[in-house]
Amino acid sequence: MRSYLDHLYRISGYIAAFFLFAIFSVVIIQVALGLIDEILLVLIGKAFGLQISGYARFSGYFLAAATFFALAHTFKEGSHIRVSLVVQHLPEGLRRWVEVWCCAVAAVLSGYFTLQMASLVHDSYRFNDVSSGLIAVPLWIPQTSMVIGLVILTLALVDETLRVLLGQRPSYADAEGLLDQTSDETSDLTHR
Amino acid sequence: MDQLILSGVLVIALLSLLASGVWVAFSLLAVGYLAIELFTSVPVGQALATNAWSASTKWSLAALPMFIWMGEILFRSRLSEDLFGGLSPWMARLPGRLMHVNILGCSIFAAVSGSSAATAATIGKMSLPELKKRGYDEQMMIGTLAGSGTLGLLIPPSIILIVYGVAIEESISRLFIAGILPGIMLVSLFMGYVMLWSALNPSRTPPAEPRIPLRERLKASRRLIPVLMIIVGVIASIYFGVASPTDAASLGVLFSLLLSWFSGSLTWKTFLDGLLGATRTSCMIAFILAGAAFLSVAMGFTGIPRELASWIASLNLSPYALIAALTVFFVVLGCFLDGISIVVLTTAVILPMIDAAGLDRIWFGIYVVLVVEMSQITPPVGFNLFVLQGLTGRNIFKVALAALPFFLILMLSVVLVVVFPEIATWLPQQMN
Amino acid sequence: AENWDMPTPYPEGNFHTQNIIQFAEDVEEATDGELTITVHSNGSLIEHPEIKNAVRGGQVQAGEFLLSLLANENAIFQIDSVPFLATSYEEAGKLWEVSREKTEELLAQQNLKVLYAVAWPPQGIYTTEKLQTIDDLSGTSFRSYNNTTERLAQLAGAVPTQVEVPDLAQAFSTGRVDAMITSPSTGVNVKAWDFLDYYADTRAWLPKNIIVVNQDAFDALSPEVQEAVMEAAGEAEARGWEMSMEETKTQTEVLAENGIEVYEPSEELRDSLLEIGETMSAEWAERAGEEGQKILDAFLAN
Ligand code: NA
Ligand code: NA
Repeated sequence: MRSYLDHLYRISGYIAAFFLFAIFSVVIIQVALGLIDEILLVLIGKAFGLQISGYARFSGYFLAAATFFALAHTFKEGSHIRVSLVVQHLPEGLRRWVEVWCCAVAAVLSGYFTLQMASLVHDSYRFNDVSSGLIAVPLWIPQTSMVIGLVILTLALVDETLRVLLGQRPSYADAEGLLDQTSDETSDLTHR
Repeated sequence: MDQLILSGVLVIALLSLLASGVWVAFSLLAVGYLAIELFTSVPVGQALATNAWSASTKWSLAALPMFIWMGEILFRSRLSEDLFGGLSPWMARLPGRLMHVNILGCSIFAAVSGSSAATAATIGKMSLPELKKRGYDEQMMIGTLAGSGTLGLLIPPSIILIVYGVAIEESISRLFIAGILPGIMLVSLFMGYVMLWSALNPSRTPPAEPRIPLRERLKASRRLIPVLMIIVGVIASIYFGVASPTDAASLGVLFSLLLSWFSGSLTWKTFLDGLLGATRTSCMIAFILAGAAFLSVAMGFTGIPRELASWIASLNLSPYALIAALTVFFVVLGCFLDGISIVVLTTAVILPMIDAAGLDRIWFGIYVVLVVEMSQITPPVGFNLFVLQGLTGRNIFKVALAALPFFLILMLSVVLVVVFPEIATWLPQQMN
Repeated sequence: AENWDMPTPYPEGNFHTQNIIQFAEDVEEATDGELTITVHSNGSLIEHPEIKNAVRGGQVQAGEFLLSLLANENAIFQIDSVPFLATSYEEAGKLWEVSREKTEELLAQQNLKVLYAVAWPPQGIYTTEKLQTIDDLSGTSFRSYNNTTERLAQLAGAVPTQVEVPDLAQAFSTGRVDAMITSPSTGVNVKAWDFLDYYADTRAWLPKNIIVVNQDAFDALSPEVQEAVMEAAGEAEARGWEMSMEETKTQTEVLAENGIEVYEPSEELRDSLLEIGETMSAEWAERAGEEGQKILDAFLAN
């Protein structure tokens, strides 16, 4: 079970990375097409208007997918930011309960967020909402990527709450910055 | 009175959540939820979903992960080391030496990117390990990055000037031009401070690298060529009209990939590590932005910023007193909301005051950017602080403390722009 | 007393927004404060693309949006943006008259009640070089932001270039685009004279902003208040069209004052544009089906 879940978070991170790469690809192809047009205009005096219709819109959708698919992975790797100044000075016993509180609050919010996003997808589907502009994309499709990302995040948060409750070290505590960790908050958790 | 109690409740809720260690994005979401649920009859879940959708799918936001990815690629290649190695002989006699690379790097980068988070993240990723390796003072390293990262908003292009320009129906190109002189002024002030600080704290500056003759220096400078090519390529693509800012960001990624491939430092592993690193950092920032956007919409529903601004309007202050009051207002609001939200939420109420006081709208735009830049480095909600906490692993108060001198310099630049409005208005007037 | 939130997409200074602010004041006065409306201009509360759905879901009670933004949902919503179909205020008014019922019916399916609609000033072509014939557009980068503008650019032999609103100023000043079709109001708002020199007053079409309320929120009002709202809406519609005409005149003058050469298209150019218009009308009718054809026939009949 443990390894299945960890796989899930990691795969979801890879999917997010794929969407980031997709933004890059779409934009680069669009720029290349524009450049070819410019060159053709100079060479043969005619441009064809080569382009990816609605590429800005697609980039926006890919961005949302990248952000939300990455949520759980980013959480597990300790890359989400928080203020740990108070937490790090607490005695160990109390500190565990504060970590439980943090994870539980986040899990509840994330669960609520998931339900509300799912309800948005339902509305978009029911009313056949489509994007405006050059390409009519049914909105429920890109919105679903956000729901899936949130489901995985909620799972990760519930998972983490239980782990910490059972006395394990939080997995987000291993994060390190570019400057080495000597006197800082994350390190004393690591060395516990 | 109601509004006052309400604001107090929300501020206390936000501070408690943050202090107890709840992640920033979740704290913002929770406070947004409380604001709507307790004080309006708006269906809060729906507002959350709609807002998350529109805040997370913005085209202009897509530039952010691309720039961050570019920083990750350069960080993993030898290119950033080459940059510092090539520059260091030239800076040997300047007090503060390579510390100025943070400031100059941010200001060059600001000419490409419209956001300060992207600026601080990209330059920081490259410069922090290099400066650390060379023994520069940590606090100063973080402070210069946090401070000069804010230049992303002032030096054109700038997302916030676009938002402001649309709201007041003013020419965006004029606003961009108006940002140039104040931008240069701020860069000089930052560099001046670094020089002064280094002169006063010789013990905290690493020993100078040995002097080398000009010919050797020029030879070392060859290492600068690849990085310069990237910078020139990206800037040229914008200013020759080939690319929008997001396009330019992606071109930056392409150039960085190509160069690190030619230089032999690109492997499948470094590629994947860089991409995943960028994915995590941009996820962190985008998620906080989504939380901030939701809190901002909640503020819109409760009407607090509007009420506060109308209260200031009702005081009928003289122009200087008005600017002083607004500065306090923006700085306080800037502790809790992000800069763009503040501009969006308050321009409708503030602009009539500005017009009534006979202040120039373009000048006011520059003033607003300067004040809002401060909000990027004030705790508890300051985006440059989050970015630097993410990069360095140092806690947010340490980062904020390091950024404090630069906050004060920003304050000084506000005073300068108020006393000498020509700093902002002279260049755009030349356009007529 | 009841308070409504009303998001609108355009800035405070825009004449549509000014008209809505007046409407809100009229409602408050007519109902003795029984119903107040807080106008959130410039997309400050809800952004333009989400306004319709926010009203539909009851997050806000009323809102304004550009009707043709819904073109991808149903082609009927786009009839006011078919180039060279209705090219004057009189024709645009007639077109709204014959399409209003169907528009209301379609929006009612989404729980939206139409209060009124107001036309934008007619669309003209901004360029860096003066247009003599349609061939002068050949090869220019023409700003496109939806399928109408993209198709128009293609048919005119130009290169449709997608530019998002935040990139607009930069795209023009760096020469990434060198032509756009929009109203004199928008031209003045973006200070078109900073980067463009000519304005061909082609009067291609008059798009409309529509003001809607959530049906449930409306039904919850007392009959007297409902009546007051509808009355104020009627006045706002009449006032809005007047304001729009005035806007066309003053903003075209502002363009000229700032050094843009405003000119009537030549006979030759006009003919080519009308030809494009016919092609696009036919294409629209095909998309809009039987219902669309009915509206088109009713419009052409009088
Ligand atoms: Na910038
Ligand atoms: Na702040």
